[in-house]
Amino acid sequence: MAVTTPHSAQPAPPPQQAPVNYSTRVDKVGLRPRIASATRAVIAIIIAFIMLIPVFWMGMTAFKSRPDAVSVPPKVFFTPTLEGFVSLFTQRRQLSEAEIAAYNERTDLSWADEIALLRGQAIIGESKFRGQLINSIIISAASTFFSVGFGVLAAYAFSRFNIPGKDDLLFFILSQRMLPAVVVTIPIFLMYREVGLYDTHLGMILLYTSFNLSFSVWLLKGFIDEIPREYEEAALVDGYTRLQAFRKIVLPQAVTGIAATTVFALIFSWNEYAFALMLTSEVARTAPPSIPLVLGTGGIEWAAIAAGSLIFLIPVVVVTFLLRQHLLRGVTFGAIRKG
Amino acid sequence: MTQVTTERASAQLTPMAQRPAARRQLSDANIVRLFILPTIILLILMNIFPLFYSLFLSFTEYSVISETPPRWVGLQNYIDILSDSQLYHNFAVTGRYALISVGLQTIVGFSLAMLLRNKFKGSGFITTLILIPMMLSPIVVAVFWRLIFNPSLGIFNYLLGFTNPNTSPEWLGEPGLALWSIIIVDVWMWSPFVMLLCLAGLSAIPEYLYEAAAIDRASAWFQFRRITLPQVMPLLLIAVLFRTIEAFKQFDLVMGLTGGGPGDATETVSVQLYQLAFQGQFNTGLSSALAYIVLVVIIAISNLYIRALNRVREG
Amino acid sequence: MATIHLQNVEKKFGEQFAVKPLNMTINSGEFIVLLGPSGCGKTTTLRMISGLEAVTSGNILFDQKDVTWLHPSQRDIAFVFQFFALYSHMTARENIAFPLQAQGMPRDQITKRVNEVANMLRIEHILKLRPGSLSGGDQQRVALARALVRRPAAFLMDEPLGALDAEFREGMRAEIKRLHIDQEATTVYVTHDQVEAMAMGDRIVIMSRAEVQQADTPAEVYHNPANLFVARFIGSPGMNLLEGVYESGAIRLPGRNAYEVPDRWRSALESSLPADGRVILGFRPEAVSLWETGQLGARVYADDLHGGYSMLHLELAEGVVIHARAGRDGNYPIGTPIGFDLEPEMVRFFHPETEQALNRGKAS
Repeated sequence: MAVTTPHSAQPAPPPQQAPVNYSTRVDKVGLRPRIASATRAVIAIIIAFIMLIPVFWMGMTAFKSRPDAVSVPPKVFFTPTLEGFVSLFTQRRQLSEAEIAAYNERTDLSWADEIALLRGQAIIGESKFRGQLINSIIISAASTFFSVGFGVLAAYAFSRFNIPGKDDLLFFILSQRMLPAVVVTIPIFLMYREVGLYDTHLGMILLYTSFNLSFSVWLLKGFIDEIPREYEEAALVDGYTRLQAFRKIVLPQAVTGIAATTVFALIFSWNEYAFALMLTSEVARTAPPSIPLVLGTGGIEWAAIAAGSLIFLIPVVVVTFLLRQHLLRGVTFGAIRKG
Repeated sequence: MTQVTTERASAQLTPMAQRPAARRQLSDANIVRLFILPTIILLILMNIFPLFYSLFLSFTEYSVISETPPRWVGLQNYIDILSDSQLYHNFAVTGRYALISVGLQTIVGFSLAMLLRNKFKGSGFITTLILIPMMLSPIVVAVFWRLIFNPSLGIFNYLLGFTNPNTSPEWLGEPGLALWSIIIVDVWMWSPFVMLLCLAGLSAIPEYLYEAAAIDRASAWFQFRRITLPQVMPLLLIAVLFRTIEAFKQFDLVMGLTGGGPGDATETVSVQLYQLAFQGQFNTGLSSALAYIVLVVIIAISNLYIRALNRVREG
Repeated sequence: MATIHLQNVEKKFGEQFAVKPLNMTINSGEFIVLLGPSGCGKTTTLRMISGLEAVTSGNILFDQKDVTWLHPSQRDIAFVFQFFALYSHMTARENIAFPLQAQGMPRDQITKRVNEVANMLRIEHILKLRPGSLSGGDQQRVALARALVRRPAAFLMDEPLGALDAEFREGMRAEIKRLHIDQEATTVYVTHDQVEAMAMGDRIVIMSRAEVQQADTPAEVYHNPANLFVARFIGSPGMNLLEGVYESGAIRLPGRNAYEVPDRWRSALESSLPADGRVILGFRPEAVSLWETGQLGARVYADDLHGGYSMLHLELAEGVVIHARAGRDGNYPIGTPIGFDLEPEMVRFFHPETEQALNRGKAS
């Protein structure tokens, strides 16, 4: 198998540009490698841009007026407005011609009222979205807290001690994460109905906690495995109890791992749709199941949906940027260490 | 001398562990039990018990909306499902979706990784940007792609050049295209995941392997085949397995984009399950049986996945 | 075999020197060792010779041909890496054959050469195995075989024994040297282990902080170190170095010791020292002869038994300890005072500020 590369026989002329004061191979110096590197960068930027077009588009749509949002052909340039947000957060009713005239006279309207008025509507109250958003926050926060809390305890136990059937147990724990939501929901739906947990915050928190636990335990165990046991052993020899050693020595060192796990648990709970769809209706409903259903009078309110989506996405995007180092680790269930 | 008590749930670390519990100290064994307890309880409550309950239900005829209690019917549910061609159609849909989507994700993700492996100014930032799609809520993603895919309003057709609303393809409406729409969104969301894993693998390849190849005058193709690919393979495998499992579980995207339609063109197994259990007849017994069948398939694949995971972790 | 010239070869990272402008000639058939602590620039120099690292400025010539910008594969070199760099999915035989295949050699010739080389390194029995199932020593042998099979103009080796267990290193050292002699090769060898360098090198180039400290035969480097760094770095343990003050023929040393300087050194000391007469006296442990009535005195601080001899630690004064080699038959309990003399031929002197060795000047 010929694997030769056609190199020229003459040595390349020494590069005329600036001296090579960085680490590189002889054949990587000069114009061609530079161009190749620049081309790669440009292609990467283009791809990143293309990949983000949908997100940009949705972001833009959130600030479009109703007609702009559904214009044919789609509008790239438009006058931004907060109509979508108002639609999202409020319930309105259509005003008659006379009422519109009357409203136009008034001077005590809030900015939101003004916007509604532009479309001939008056605000009659809050929509359910704000409540649902709050539910999302409560349920995500609580379930994350518990799953990471219980998770770090279990992870420590699995990491430091020989528990009979440890590997099987861990496997079982992780495999729970692999089940389709629908499979688990059917019996839980029945159970919850029996004990009155259907459509309750507690019910959702319990469910999310247990679903996140499997992931948390695995991830945290990986992090704790990396903390050398010598630290605790030294503490034990010095007279600390194991609990104290855990609290004073292991936990502080596991902080970055805990932070990463927390973020992933949060993101999962925050984004979750299937369970929320099937196990909540009015009281404990979170945002994801309802975003597709934001209907206005007379058709789909795309600006409102986009507004809701945007609000929903922002925390996740922020967190992605803050924690990019830990992303790889979390996303692969702790198998890979680099960030 | 202190008595040494050995416990079965052994906590063997240091001799200290074998001291009998001091008055205000918990012995290691008890600590282990205490630490694992909440996890185990939750597991049993929310996973194990429901699984058994579900198993029981799968042998009954029952509907959650009816007043009549479950009636034992043995294997009838299983027979009904396995003899219904709909199941095989749905498995076929799910299988096709998984195969094509994961295949495309792998190609796109790997190519992206090869593109970004040599750092340049801002490559870290660009990498983070590319990661955003996969962190978003799938249902939200599905909803705004619905707007994008809209034949007349959406920018997808617009950017592709289909400006006449009468002839532009109906991505979500045509049975032939609907599955591809879901695949496009899935690939869009998850190629970065494959990219991430490949990047990790690529960056772990020691430079001296390439240097030795350079000195031996090896071609670029040889270097790719003999150095790059073998080192990246384990991670690529993990990515593929994981995405395959997720593809079989896919629910949010399908529900958000097409709801299983048009007709049953995109009815994946998860969607069928949902419809059986929570719509129409609310046929709990039947859907439980189906759930178990799906379970078996997924556990088989997960098994492979976790094994691959462990192997990579070890080294 | 090639003669390698380095002309003002330098390497900078940003504004920092990794290798200061270096001039060196490696003669055909020579075994040259680049020796020094981590970060001294030895590996960078080797890599520049190979083309794996581009020079910031300067020229590299192989037999009068300027190769400075030639691709590594065109310089007719073989490179042996510290971590073997074998292709894990090919058998040992395929690994060794690879460079020849790249050159387009006919298959039967390749097989012949591979067998020859495998024979030389005694690895015929593992040719069909993959690197993953070989020990470190065997892997390195395969790497060496791969280098040998090309019959290159020069062998470049980057700490090839660094990844091996200590027990294998001595044996492999000897093997590498023997191969070098058999092949009549030019070899440039990088290591941080001075024992290795002393054992293997025809010449040693000692580097520190991007600069060459001394380039000489092992004997010269050992007996006549050019500066304090070399004096300390070479030898286990390094040279004893005592700070003292020279005044009319004698040096005041710690511990109320006065050392009478041998005649031949007087003029050098008179002319080269700073005004205050400070000087550093250097001598190897074997330069010490222990006499009850010795000129100098110290107290026994520790006694390291080394099998055939004893390495004594003698404390002249608080915190000032020297090493002295003694026979096993002596008895030196810790704490006892002891007297000693220094072999006049084996003492050296260093300038306290420039750290350079003083020249003896013409023997009178």
